[in-house]
Order: sequence, then structure tokens, then C-alpha cells
Amino acid sequence: MREVSFGQYYPSHSFVHKMDARVKILAVIAYIVAVFLVKPFYFLGFSACLAFVIIATAVAKIPFLKVLKSMKAIIFFIVLSAVLQLFFNSQGTPLWENGFITDAGLYNAIFIVLRITLIVLGASLLTLTTSPVEIADGIESLLYPLKFIKFPVHEFALIMSIALRFIPTLLDETDRIIKAQKARGADFESGNIFKRAKALIPVLIPLLISSFRRADELADAMDARCYSGSKNRTKYKKMKFSYRDLIGVIFTAGLIVGVVMLNGVLGVVV
Amino acid sequence: MQIKAEELKFVYGKGSSVSSHALNGVNLLVEEGEFYGIIGKTGSGKSTFIQHINGLLKVQKESGKIVVGEFDLTDKKCNFKNLRKKVGMVFQYPEYQLFAETVFDDVAFGIKNFMPETSSEHTTELVQQALELVGLDYDQIKDKSPFELSGGQKRRVAIAGVIVTKPEVLVLDEPVAGLDPKGKREFLTLLHSLNKSFVKTVIIVSHDMNVISENCTKVAVFKDGKVVLEGSPEQVYGGNDIIEVGLSKPVTQNLIDDLNKVGVKIDSGLSVESFTDSIARVFGGRK
Amino acid sequence: MPILKAENVSFSYDKKTEVLKDVSLEVKRGEYIAIIGHNGSGKSTLARLFNALIVPDFGKVYIDGLDTSIKDNQFKIRENVGVVFQNPDNQLVASIVVDDVAFGPENLGLSREEIGNRIDFALKAVGMESFRKASPERLSGGQKQRIAIAGVLALKPQILVLDESTSMLDPEGRREVLNVVKKLNKENGVTVIAITHYMEEVVDADRVIVVNDGEVAMSGTPEEIFKQKQTLKSYGLELPLASYIAEKLREKGVDIPQTILTEKQLSEALCKLKQKS
Repeated sequence: MREVSFGQYYPSHSFVHKMDARVKILAVIAYIVAVFLVKPFYFLGFSACLAFVIIATAVAKIPFLKVLKSMKAIIFFIVLSAVLQLFFNSQGTPLWENGFITDAGLYNAIFIVLRITLIVLGASLLTLTTSPVEIADGIESLLYPLKFIKFPVHEFALIMSIALRFIPTLLDETDRIIKAQKARGADFESGNIFKRAKALIPVLIPLLISSFRRADELADAMDARCYSGSKNRTKYKKMKFSYRDLIGVIFTAGLIVGVVMLNGVLGVVV
Repeated sequence: MQIKAEELKFVYGKGSSVSSHALNGVNLLVEEGEFYGIIGKTGSGKSTFIQHINGLLKVQKESGKIVVGEFDLTDKKCNFKNLRKKVGMVFQYPEYQLFAETVFDDVAFGIKNFMPETSSEHTTELVQQALELVGLDYDQIKDKSPFELSGGQKRRVAIAGVIVTKPEVLVLDEPVAGLDPKGKREFLTLLHSLNKSFVKTVIIVSHDMNVISENCTKVAVFKDGKVVLEGSPEQVYGGNDIIEVGLSKPVTQNLIDDLNKVGVKIDSGLSVESFTDSIARVFGGRK
Repeated sequence: MPILKAENVSFSYDKKTEVLKDVSLEVKRGEYIAIIGHNGSGKSTLARLFNALIVPDFGKVYIDGLDTSIKDNQFKIRENVGVVFQNPDNQLVASIVVDDVAFGPENLGLSREEIGNRIDFALKAVGMESFRKASPERLSGGQKQRIAIAGVLALKPQILVLDESTSMLDPEGRREVLNVVKKLNKENGVTVIAITHYMEEVVDADRVIVVNDGEVAMSGTPEEIFKQKQTLKSYGLELPLASYIAEKLREKGVDIPQTILTEKQLSEALCKLKQKS
């Protein structure tokens, strides 16, 4: 069996891991808002955000390198935005004579790189310290008030839960089908992009058919266990708000206040 | 084609924190012409091993070697496509790999991949041959959608899709899982008849000791990524080592053991035919 | 009153070919019934009829006196008839064992406390108490199937239907599941209906029902059923291996009784021959 590691959850028993997922989700949202609150070129604001991430990472007992690794996936995106700002910003004065890179372009590039980096670092801190199941439960609980405007919170949560449950199964199955077709001479690695896309048909069709079969069987199994929608349904799992969460809330609030103060009091640093 | 593995090792997730050793130095020799059985508990490395035979899993660095006929799989220049043409691989529940609109197209998939130069007449000929070999009526089934067939038929079509390019070695993982008793018996008969055609060597992985002892000429027992027992079914099941590995013995072997305990020595093979003949000899039945 | 009763049931999926034709059968409280038949004989359709996933086109199915075709009964019937299906991967809904077992009782709208009690009971009954927090992907096939059984046990059903629940498991997993099911039948008095095509799983049943081409073809104790070798063969079924070997021995003139079903019985019979000679 192949070990499927799904998501980037980093199991541990740290303070942050034990926090209520709802608080962590809200804290990350607040953190992202704080990052956006930093006015252009007030770089000290960013240092407050960075301090927040570093402290949280330390408390969560996650190797800092692990957090940085989450940048790998979007490094291309970051470089692209920086390049666009550098070369296509026509405002400001050129940095050297006849050069097309302006000071405003450079500031913008640095600013955007920092902004994206900080957002990704914060968000990955959530996924590193909270399992996908906890995140799903947290989202469900946070969405609960939407029930009163007839938003199908329960169904939404069930879809998330089933998706989480079946992703590893389907990954395994994909691997098996790819191998089976390879054994019949299928070639997924050579040829141009169209040829490669076409080569995937013998994988996608069996995968699709088997997914439908699984969905069918799962629906039967759920019916057989008396599933009849959210009506009269109770919930076993309860999320608990503890002193840790209170500390988390205070800490996050501190960040927002800090950023706002740095924005207003200190003025342009560069 | 001879299959020879020497000190073959394999690690899943190599270099990561969740790595697990699936093979820990497998030494195995499968001679041409065998009907070879591979047994072992779930997770003993059987599946990982058979995926090496046709290069679906590549031999890792400094992890021993495996040679299949003229193919040295550790060689960088090894032509895996040619190897896979010669070594057919049937996974568990192969019916779930069918994808084409018609049975014909599905079976012909291997021809298109391995022998793209084949004329359409020759393709038809090969597909017809393959379908007939697995016991299906070509004219009746060729234009049907593979998805409207019964479970047993689907499995046969899937096998036809593997043998259509005439592999010399056929490897099957749990080939009779999920079949009813009749389907199971027919399927094993089919494997034996294939073994008498262009398929020189058959290798099956199974959890069913009775299937193994009834059909195989040789057996290898996997445990913790190693071959711990190897030989004829009589050798492998005869002693008590097999019990220590955590596997059971086939019914015929258990009966031979029981009779031995009360002082009746039965010298017979483990197939039902051979066993009942020996008993009839000992207890004076008609021959 | 029988706990399960099917009266002249016919059913077809496409309104053309009947999968079940005029099937009548009764199951007594606490019985262990095995239903066998070749692939496509209609035996799995029976499982779906028994807990009202489908309702008969003609005839009636009664569970503990309740008619499955009446919509208002169906919830109660599903609570009372737990079905475990073939593929362990396709019947678990949650990524954590305890959440999955909770699914059924949550659907019943039980209190948190009662759900907790039922989870404890169900996991204990299948011997998986120590896997509460485990994720199903990390479990073996047999363990997953035991969780699936726990998932239906949490509904406290009186009838447990196994729809080829062991066919995708290795011998170890199959043994685990069968032991759990036998224990539930013996100790908790759960009525068991095991649909299977492993003849070895049938020999311990109180009664065997043979389904062929949508009809109940035979019914009786395992001894009665496996005596009729030719009839079974015509239904695409075979004898358990021990019976088959015994049969072969008789053909070859060895004096072995007709009633052999298990390896143990055959071994005893052979050893007895030695004493005689």
C-alpha cells in the first residue's frame, strides 16, 4: 500500500494544535485582514504580522522550515507578480537614467511579495496545526448561523466530510488504474500536451465509473443507516472553547491593534 | 523467460518522514514454465514485488537487482515498453480498468500501444484470438460495451486485453477474488490452458492456500518484505514453518498431518486428485 | 411471529427482467441464516428488500410485522435491519472512526449521551474500542468492515444482514468479521442473514437458503443442502472443499459418511478408518 499523506497537517500536542479550530480559522481571517490593513510602504506593519507568525509557529512547535516549505507551491506566482510590478509599473521616477524600472515599481514589487508571503505563511500555519477534519468541523460550526437564511449548512458539512474521507481512496485508485494501463503499454510521459491529455482517457473513464459506483454504494449505505437529511438530526461532536482560545483571541486582537497603530502613528518608514 | 531477483529492496516514500520498507532483500528465481504461487499476509511485500517484474516500480538506487529474461531492470537503458509487452500484468479486480466504448477497442488497446504498426486485419485477428482464448464468443461480444457485461465476462475481457499481445509471462494479483465458486474454477482452468499456449510462465498472488496448493508447481512465501520459504507446495506446506509465518495450510495438507499423527503416512501431492488417490490406495478403495 | 417474512415477492430493476420471482421465506428471531447463489442469482437484491432500500413490485416484505412498502415504516425498519455491504471503503462516511459510528445514532436524533453510549457499545461489540480516533485509511480491510458493522450496530438493530461482506477481505479479515458476527448472534441474540458465496461460511448456519435465477430453490440445514450435490451443481454452486474431498473419496471406494461438511469432520472420519483397519 502506498502511504497517502494528504494535506500538510503536522501532528503535535502543542498549545496551538489544541486550540478550537473555529478560533484558529477566525484568527487566520483576522490575520489576513491585518495584512491587508498595512498601508502601502508602511513596512513596519508587516514586521508586526511577521512577528505574529513567528511567535505562533514557535508556540505550535513546528519547525520553521516546514512553514517556509508551504511557499514552494506558489513561488512561481510570487515571482510573476514581482516581475509584473517591476517591469510594467510606469509611475514614479526611473531608478537610473533611461531605465524602465521605477522606484514605485520596486516598492510595489517588494510590497506585494511581502503581502503574499505573509498571507501564505499564516494560512499554512492553520493547515499545519489543524487536521482537515477539524477544519471542516470548524467551518460547519462557524456557518451554523447561516441556517437561519436557509443555507444548507448540514449538507455542506457532509459534503466536506465525505470529500475528505474519499480523497485518499480515490488517489489510491488512480494510482492503481494508471499502473494497470501502463502495464498495457499506455504512455503518459511522452508526446505533446494533446497527446498526453488523450493518454489520460483510459485512466479518467474507469476512475469516473468507479466514482459513480462508489457514490451509489455510499448512498445505499447512508440510507441503510437511517440518513434522511438534516431533519431531526443530532450531533455528537461538540467543540469546546477553552482558556487557550481566549489567549489566541487576545493575541490576534493585539496584532490588529498593533497594525492599525503602526499605520497611523509612525508614518512612512521608507 | 527466467525471472531472477537478488537482494531486491524497496522503500515507499523514500527520504520522507513516513517512509516504509516494503521489500527488504528479496531473493527469488522463477524458471520458465512454472505456475508460480506467491503467498503472504497483507502487507508482506507481495504486491510491491510483482510490480517490479514489469518495471511499474523501478528498482531504487543500491537496492539489489532484478533480471527478467534479457531485460536487466537496473540498467538505465532497459526498454520498459518491450519488457511490458513480454510480461502481462493483471491487477486485482481488473474489470475496473475497462474504459473503451466496445470490447474490441478495449482489447485492442495493448496492440495500439505495443505494436502501433500492426495492420487492422492483423489487429482483428489478434483480438479475436485473445477473446476466444479467454472463452468468449468473438462475434457476439466484440461490439458490446464492456460495461454492460456480467462481472465474470468483464474480467475475461480484461484478461484478453492483457494477453492480446502474447506475453510470455503472466502475473496475476488475486485473480479469483470476488468470483463465485463456479467462476473461480472456470477461471483457474483458463489460466492452465493459457499456460499451455504462448504464456510460458504464470505467477499468481493469492490468499487462498487451497487454490495455491491445487494449482501451483512452486510457491514462495513472503514475510516482512523477504522470501522466507520457497519450494514445491509439498515442501512449503509440509513443515510447520508456514504456520509460524502466520499462514494456514491447505485442507489436504491438514488431513495428511492429522493422519500422520495417528500413524498413517500418506505420501501424496496436495491436489485433491493426488490426495484422494493416495487415500484410496491406503484404505483399500477401488483404484 | 417470524421477525422477517417475505410473501410472494417479485422485483425488477428495469421493469423487464425479473431479478426475483415469487420469493417467499421466513426468518425466525435469533436464527443464523445463510443465503447462497451464484453471481447474478438475485441474492443481493434480497438484502436491499429487507431494509426497504427497494420495495417489492409484487408481494410484501414484513420486518417484525411492519410492511416495508409503507413509507412511514421505512425509518423504523432501517433502524431494525442493519445492512453491511461488500466494499468496506464505500460505506464509511467519516475520516475518524468515532464520527463514523456516530452517523447512524445522529440520524436517529438521539441525545449526545445516548450516542456516546451506543458508540461505546458498538465498538466494544466488534472489538475495536482502541481505534476510536483512528482514520479508516489506516485500517486493514477486516478492521474497516468491523467498523462498518459497528456503524449499523449503533442503531441497535435486531437483524444484521451481511451482503457479501467478506468477499473483499483476506482470510484474516474474513475470520475477524465472522467471529464478530457469530458472537453477536450467540451472545446478543441478533438475527443474522449472511449472503455469501463462500461455502465454508455456510456450514455453521442454522439454515441455508439457495437462490437461483431469482427463486428460492432450496432451503434446509447445511447437511440437507450439501447432500444434494448434483442439484447444487446445476445452480452453479459447489460443495465446501471438505465435502468435495469426501465425495471424491467415496467415488474412489473409500468408506466415508455422506454428512461431512468441515475439515474437522473429514479428519475424524479418516482417522476412524485407520482404527477399523
